[in-house]
Amino acid sequence: MPTHRKPGVLTGLSVSQAMRRQVVRQPAETTIGEGIRKLVKFKSNALLVTGSNDRPRGVVTKTDLMGAYYATLPLSAALGDIMAGPPLSCFRDDGLETCLDAMQSNGIHQLYVLGAEIHAVIGVVDYGDVLGLLYRYCRSCSKGRHASRLTEHASPENRLHVKDVMTPSVEACPRGTPLTGIMEILSAKGFGAVLIEDDANLPQGVISKSDLMHAYRRNTDTTAPADSIMGRPVLSCGAGALLADAIQQMLVLDIQRLFVHDPDLDHIVGVLSLSNAARFRSGTCRACRSSRLITP
Amino acid sequence: MLAQDIMDTRFRTLQPRDTIAAAVRAFHEVSREQGKKIFGLMVTDAADHLVGMLSIYDILLFMQPKHVHIWGEMEDMDFEKLFNDLLKRVKDVPVEDIMTTDVVTISPTTHLMIISDIMIKKHIRRLPVIAAEQVLGIVYVSDVFHHLLHRFQ
Repeated sequence: MPTHRKPGVLTGLSVSQAMRRQVVRQPAETTIGEGIRKLVKFKSNALLVTGSNDRPRGVVTKTDLMGAYYATLPLSAALGDIMAGPPLSCFRDDGLETCLDAMQSNGIHQLYVLGAEIHAVIGVVDYGDVLGLLYRYCRSCSKGRHASRLTEHASPENRLHVKDVMTPSVEACPRGTPLTGIMEILSAKGFGAVLIEDDANLPQGVISKSDLMHAYRRNTDTTAPADSIMGRPVLSCGAGALLADAIQQMLVLDIQRLFVHDPDLDHIVGVLSLSNAARFRSGTCRACRSSRLITP
Repeated sequence: MLAQDIMDTRFRTLQPRDTIAAAVRAFHEVSREQGKKIFGLMVTDAADHLVGMLSIYDILLFMQPKHVHIWGEMEDMDFEKLFNDLLKRVKDVPVEDIMTTDVVTISPTTHLMIISDIMIKKHIRRLPVIAAEQVLGIVYVSDVFHHLLHRFQ
């Protein structure tokens, strides 16, 4: 049955324009410890697990590693024991919108890009890559914030703000919460990070799946308190900050999310993640949403 | 001509828990001591067993931001501040997180032509010489080449 899709900023853009060619892959028999090391070294969010003849068999994500840590699997266990498979994939000529649909409906953060040869993985595309492409378009757009600084072309009220896109809820835990409790919350709520607060409910740090992955590799006991591994400081932006500036901050700092505070810096009211912004499928000002015009 | 004849036995190693900042200092000091630019150092554990190799490429790769291709379009950014922030973030990362662990090694009796073949085919510039799980020395591509030069003369 024919379907109608409203054109968006990403309409007409293909995977090849956003994908990266570096795919971190490891044989299924590689240990979890070595797999974590590779993720850290290449700043990747997932490992492609391969079988015989280098064929893709599955994927190990930070969520899978968190599950292994929770289950106290030894670091010497094989990636093949915890992988999910088969890896979901797309082709380089597929539309980015279709890929975002696939990522969203499957609850995953990346798709592997297949080449012409059977089983040949030639790249990977994730939310950050899509957002990076979107950001470049916004910067070169005559209605964008960057151009408007020079020409005063677009009015400030047209700008999209963090509060328009953020997730308006944050999970917070006391700093003494054991890591098992943190992992249970992340798993149940489907969040990527938990805010750690002190006794006065003031934000003290953050524990993300990456922090848990590091703790796993360092053999940290799963009953250790949250503040023993939390990351500091809590990186945040104001709810009224421009979306373009927040995206830029995430891309430049290589971070997955920014917590959002209200005028009181210590009052966290939401979180803006790369996936929030990418799923929004718009540029950083209302010009894209209203006119659907963009000038690359 | 064998590896034991041309290997450099004056080598310094890094420990897995050394930080990147300490490793960079070690590269600088070893280069000064040996009078030549050193681009890779071996990493050994407490038992002096080789557990990895750290090259300047590993460090540069790790320091490169994931979305660095966008940086080139941000003419209005304060790159000096960003770069300083980046250095602060990575300086305490341990060597074991970014070293290369699948290291190709040779024995003291590996012939020069085999060494040369490994270096060319695998794009390797330095090969640790190992016997009985202990590091005896290291052969640099420049040593191989200079030795060949002497033989020609």
